[in-house]
Amino acid sequence: MRKIFSSRAVVTIIISLIVIVGLIAGSNWWAKRTNTPPFFQRFGNDLAGGVSRIISVPTTAIGRSANSIGNLLDTFEENRELKSKIDEFAQDKVRLQTVEEENKTLKNQLKLKATLTDYKTVSAVTISRSPTTWQSQLVINKGLKSGLKKGMPVLSGAGIIGRISEVNTTNSKVALISDTSEDANRFAITIKGGNGDVNGIVTNFNREKNQLIMSQVTSENQIKAGDLVETSGLGGVIPAGLYVGKVSSVTRDDYGLSKRINIEPAADLGNVTTVVVAVSQIGAQ
Amino acid sequence: MAFWQLTRLRVVYPALLFFLLFVDGSLMAGMGGILTAFPWYILPTLTLVWLFYAVQFEVDKDMPFWLYVILIGILFDMYYTGIFGTYTLAFIAAVAVMKQLHKILDERLLSGISIFLIGLIVYLVVTYGAGFIIGIANVSLVTFFAFEVLPTAVLNIIVVTICYYPTWSLFQFLK
Repeated sequence: MRKIFSSRAVVTIIISLIVIVGLIAGSNWWAKRTNTPPFFQRFGNDLAGGVSRIISVPTTAIGRSANSIGNLLDTFEENRELKSKIDEFAQDKVRLQTVEEENKTLKNQLKLKATLTDYKTVSAVTISRSPTTWQSQLVINKGLKSGLKKGMPVLSGAGIIGRISEVNTTNSKVALISDTSEDANRFAITIKGGNGDVNGIVTNFNREKNQLIMSQVTSENQIKAGDLVETSGLGGVIPAGLYVGKVSSVTRDDYGLSKRINIEPAADLGNVTTVVVAVSQIGAQ
Repeated sequence: MAFWQLTRLRVVYPALLFFLLFVDGSLMAGMGGILTAFPWYILPTLTLVWLFYAVQFEVDKDMPFWLYVILIGILFDMYYTGIFGTYTLAFIAAVAVMKQLHKILDERLLSGISIFLIGLIVYLVVTYGAGFIIGIANVSLVTFFAFEVLPTAVLNIIVVTICYYPTWSLFQFLK
């Protein structure tokens, strides 16, 4: 019988597999521990970001027109629906302005500098998105120079889409909430229930159903489908009051001891052309 | 074959390989709404398509092909995931399998498509396995094949078919 592999080839393959597995596990561990990647990697990423920025101009334009053509089909229906909502929003906006004003005066009287709800925003443009099976990350065109730091929340359109996972000098990466690695979507949230809030953290993302999961909830407060979910600000890095999504269903866990809440994320993770990074003002003077 | 002709392929091939790496990312960002419309998850893999053409049209012998494969893998890992090893291994494994298959099959379009299809499956399965190592794989193998591998293969095979003869003539011109 012909030998397919010589013993030397087998040894080489095994050794290289061990090296590669070690490399994957090692660099994953290292990336979690450090805020910015080592100089060489950062330099390479900045350079690659520059090239990517140029290439993204035509593809983004094509993508945008394809999306607009898609949107055109249900514009009429949407327009009618939105018109009915707009009056409601105008009223809410006036009320919000008054409450904001009042809040500011009250904070001044209490000599509070910044609370969990104070944040400033940095807007950025998506220049690339990793074409990968896992760890779908966006590359945005703002980095260390704009004051971004690892862990900051990123919003797009309706709500939160992820957190900054790596900061280079002129660009950064955003880990999306659909990514199940530990730093991507473990943020503190609060659900505005009928008889009181329920606090907790996002524990997982179900990619097969496109839902965020908040498990191990023992609170007896009533939560029902449609309740709003927002960030609670606990932990300090992520400001309070960022919209996350709506409760889609509440189930019991496998042992029946605690509740598992499934959340429909508000943001559309597919079309992300511009993003806003929320920078908490706590500690900033 | 004159020296300058050899150099031409050596410059144009890696330059386009480098360019396509970023085109993949831009396509994913620009057309994300279509490519990741729930429940589908389609990846543009133009970089792998370009590597396949080199194997299929046997231009890999005229240049330091393995060096390009390794370098593009490292760059991919560095820029897109920040975790080294996954895509370097995926590109190497896919190219190695495609090269072995190319020895058995001929240069017809259908044989080419079969080679690419198997290469693409190897590429995606390696990335799925790497997800397990670092504990981020959260999709069952069935869902992965139905909603990611299948549509990705369809999209990329269409690309391979459309660009098959133009690329062949380009390589003939550069050779």
